[in-house]
Amino acid sequence: MARRKRNSKSRQKLQRGFAILALLALLALIILVAVLDRRVTQQFEGRRWTLPARVYAQPLELYAGQDLSSARFAQELERLGYIPQTPVDRPGTFRRKGDSVDVYVREFRFSDETQPAQKLHVGFDGEAIAALAGSNGADVPVFRLDPLLIGSIFPIHGEDRIIVSPAEVPPLLPDALKAVEDRKFDTHHGVNPLAILRAAFVNLRAGQVEQGGSTLTQQLVKSYFLDSRRTLRRKGEEAIMAFILESRFEKADIMNAYINEIYLGQDGRRAVHGFGLASQFYFGKPLAELNLPEVALLVAIVRGPSYYDPRRHAERALERRNLVLKVLADEGVVKRPEAARAMKAPLGITDNAGRSANYFPAFLDLVRRRLREDYPEEALTETGLVVFSTLDPLLQEKAELALSDELARQDQGSRKAARGLEGSMVVTTPQTGEVVAVVGGRRASFDGFNRALDMKRPIGSLAKPMVYLAALQSGRFTPASVVMDEPIELKLESGDVWKPNNYDKKIHGPVTLVRGLTQSYNLATVNLGLDVGLGPVAKTYVQLGLDEAPPKYPSILLGTAQLSPVEVAQMYNTLANGGFRSPLRAVRAVIDEHGKALKAPELEVTEAAPTEAVYTLDRMLIEVFERGTARPARKALPPGLVVAGKTGTSNDYRDSWFAGFSGGHVIVVWMGHDDNATTGLTGTTGALQAWTHLMASISTTSFEPLMPEAVEDRWIEFYSGQETSPYCSGSAVRMPFELGTVLNPNPACPPSTTPEEAALMQPPLPVVPNEDGVTAPADGAPRTSNPP
Amino acid sequence: MLPLSRTFVAIALLASAGCSLQPFHTQPSTTPTRPATQGGSGPVISEPPTVTSTLPAEPAIQGPAPSIPVPRERPKVAPATLSPASKALVSQAQAQRKKGDLPGASGSLDRALRIEPNNPLLWIEMGRLRMDQRNYAQAESMGRKALSMAVGDNHTQAAAWQLIADSLRARGKNPQAKEALDKANELGIQ
Repeated sequence: MARRKRNSKSRQKLQRGFAILALLALLALIILVAVLDRRVTQQFEGRRWTLPARVYAQPLELYAGQDLSSARFAQELERLGYIPQTPVDRPGTFRRKGDSVDVYVREFRFSDETQPAQKLHVGFDGEAIAALAGSNGADVPVFRLDPLLIGSIFPIHGEDRIIVSPAEVPPLLPDALKAVEDRKFDTHHGVNPLAILRAAFVNLRAGQVEQGGSTLTQQLVKSYFLDSRRTLRRKGEEAIMAFILESRFEKADIMNAYINEIYLGQDGRRAVHGFGLASQFYFGKPLAELNLPEVALLVAIVRGPSYYDPRRHAERALERRNLVLKVLADEGVVKRPEAARAMKAPLGITDNAGRSANYFPAFLDLVRRRLREDYPEEALTETGLVVFSTLDPLLQEKAELALSDELARQDQGSRKAARGLEGSMVVTTPQTGEVVAVVGGRRASFDGFNRALDMKRPIGSLAKPMVYLAALQSGRFTPASVVMDEPIELKLESGDVWKPNNYDKKIHGPVTLVRGLTQSYNLATVNLGLDVGLGPVAKTYVQLGLDEAPPKYPSILLGTAQLSPVEVAQMYNTLANGGFRSPLRAVRAVIDEHGKALKAPELEVTEAAPTEAVYTLDRMLIEVFERGTARPARKALPPGLVVAGKTGTSNDYRDSWFAGFSGGHVIVVWMGHDDNATTGLTGTTGALQAWTHLMASISTTSFEPLMPEAVEDRWIEFYSGQETSPYCSGSAVRMPFELGTVLNPNPACPPSTTPEEAALMQPPLPVVPNEDGVTAPADGAPRTSNPP
Repeated sequence: MLPLSRTFVAIALLASAGCSLQPFHTQPSTTPTRPATQGGSGPVISEPPTVTSTLPAEPAIQGPAPSIPVPRERPKVAPATLSPASKALVSQAQAQRKKGDLPGASGSLDRALRIEPNNPLLWIEMGRLRMDQRNYAQAESMGRKALSMAVGDNHTQAAAWQLIADSLRARGKNPQAKEALDKANELGIQ
């Protein structure tokens, strides 16, 4: 009895133990489910993907009279992923027929309004737009195309995606995903045990993982909630979470989440997530516009974005795409002939460089930095802002080309020191102060050291205009004033003696301001600068837009101040803008993910320097191309295009600069070695070449500022500064002077000399030895002028 | 040759050659063809008879003090107008201003300025918008920018001075505002 009692007691104990254990296990399970449920529901309902800010280029504006041919317009449309086809019956298509283009423009949400999808007829007249008409035939005065997406601001090693709504998804895509990845999607509860068993059987037989049994829901859970570790516990959690997701949410919601979540490729350190971005990444157009073979390719990539990377493994990707097409036909998603036709289509991806073609890292870097002034990092990388930037994609491409061509030319050239150079470019529009292109280095699509922003180098003779501006502002000098180009020795605070020299090692004696600047004479400039004072010279740097004045050492007169190309662009932009300073902008507008406009810098102008002084300086900078160090470039520019600028060469030819402008564009070019070695190049033989190449290849206007009212034009003799007549010699130059300026007349050829009188002078006038510098050698070697 | 007729020949030649004076110039095509078309040395050109008839030409030009400024008549420039594209964008901006969408209006004017950056009317319009935005300093700057682009265009200059006057008054700078207003009225009357 006692024994039985004991037995039953121990059994009871055991049972109780089991019961408690089971209870505990159940409790643990309930807690686990509850915890997972909370997590799944909260995260999924909030649907908070971290959404990097999307950055767009400036849109192409269309209006009658705009400088754009039908051929170039068609190119621009293709860049935006528009497809040439007849009929033009859906957004994203166009047809070019001779001098007219019909285009079905996509819907796009700009910062101020949503522009609906619509048909547009554009008539051309040779190189310009003649007229625009809407689908009803009515005249359209101005229209902007949807802009080019140029990138996102994502955290390092971050995910990037473009969220699409169900309406933006072609119906084929979910059907195809179900047919290929999860045939029972519409009926299962998150897990498909049969599929798992089948997969296990296949894998067991093959001895390796050949088939996945995961439903779309499980794949979503794995990507959305879990890390990629493959442990049994993870598998359990995944199944439970998939079950929870299915019981709490609609199938359509889960499908949409899948389409936006799944990983589809790698672009450097950027992970491409979701079909919206994948469509842009592989095909350069919106998801809604993909055709059957394109959708099939994306579905094929789901299984292994790296293994089936269509850029690196085109054949593999093609084979799998065609397998997908076959499955779609087998499952009745598409008709067999359709699938057969699609199998013959090429992959159709945008380029095979492994990078999207429209990748401008140096410019994006500038955008990111400007945005950081107003927004915290998380706002940029997570909250789905939409950023409208100032980039002009066509100009950017031309800038990259102009620089790389010049660097390649130097690689092949006779100067050994100029091989393997680096370079950088910044392009702005003077009146609106917008940065339209940034090239950060020789390999423009390489996201590395951004020389345009981060490299600070001595600007050499680019500093001279600041000296002359200070002189003109002082009211004591005019272009005809004479300064001495003669040796000077300065004892510096350090005790050293500074003995600057001219580039040609010559001494030119008395020279006019206009000559001293255009021919870039160092000694004349130093003497002038010391006369004006280092304080006023340093102040002009701030006037023109630098945050801080350079230290007041005498050597700043010859450009020892170290600036980045973008800082130089800011200063020269103010010169090109008639002395009005506009802080350079890279961002036009920012909206949040709901379309609400947020903070963005507005166009600002400030009268920073007297219009008359800047106007006069600019006229002298035009002469740099006529009689100065940039003259070799003149013949490579379109005839009649008036431009102004300045060469710059730092000590020992370490840096070759050119900064200059037309009426529509400021271009700054730097060339040099990263290790600061000598290049053997001056501003003229290096940077000016790339500058000219770009200036000649873009659509721009002459630099023709209006003459201020307090100023008038007079002819002076380039060498003596005496007032003269234009008819006597080639060395007469027309310069602006404030009204009432007293000038000495040239005794041999006073201003009143008529052509007839000039012709009677036999010989025409003994004048002016055709001194060096005026006839610059054709190869551009600045034998005669100063380090520019 | 009589001095008077010589002067006349010079002026006639100037008039016929316009701004591209070439005869002995080495590079005619690249001569700084200054903005002459709109505001340059035209004064002499536009009224040669007046000059010859009123000026004792000889001493004025060849006398001992040759550089005494001849009071120049700036050429009158036709009042600035907007291109159809800018006009459409300005109307759009005005509609946006009415709705209180000031950033939107700013964006529309930005677009117009990119198309016609040298049109003073657009800078005045932008200045008016900055007034609405209570950014009076920028309103004044836009007015001054417009002035620099409206040399010889009294009508537009008057509008720019009006804007500058308003921006000064808004900041309580009444004496300067009055001065600006006087300039606007003076130009407006002409």
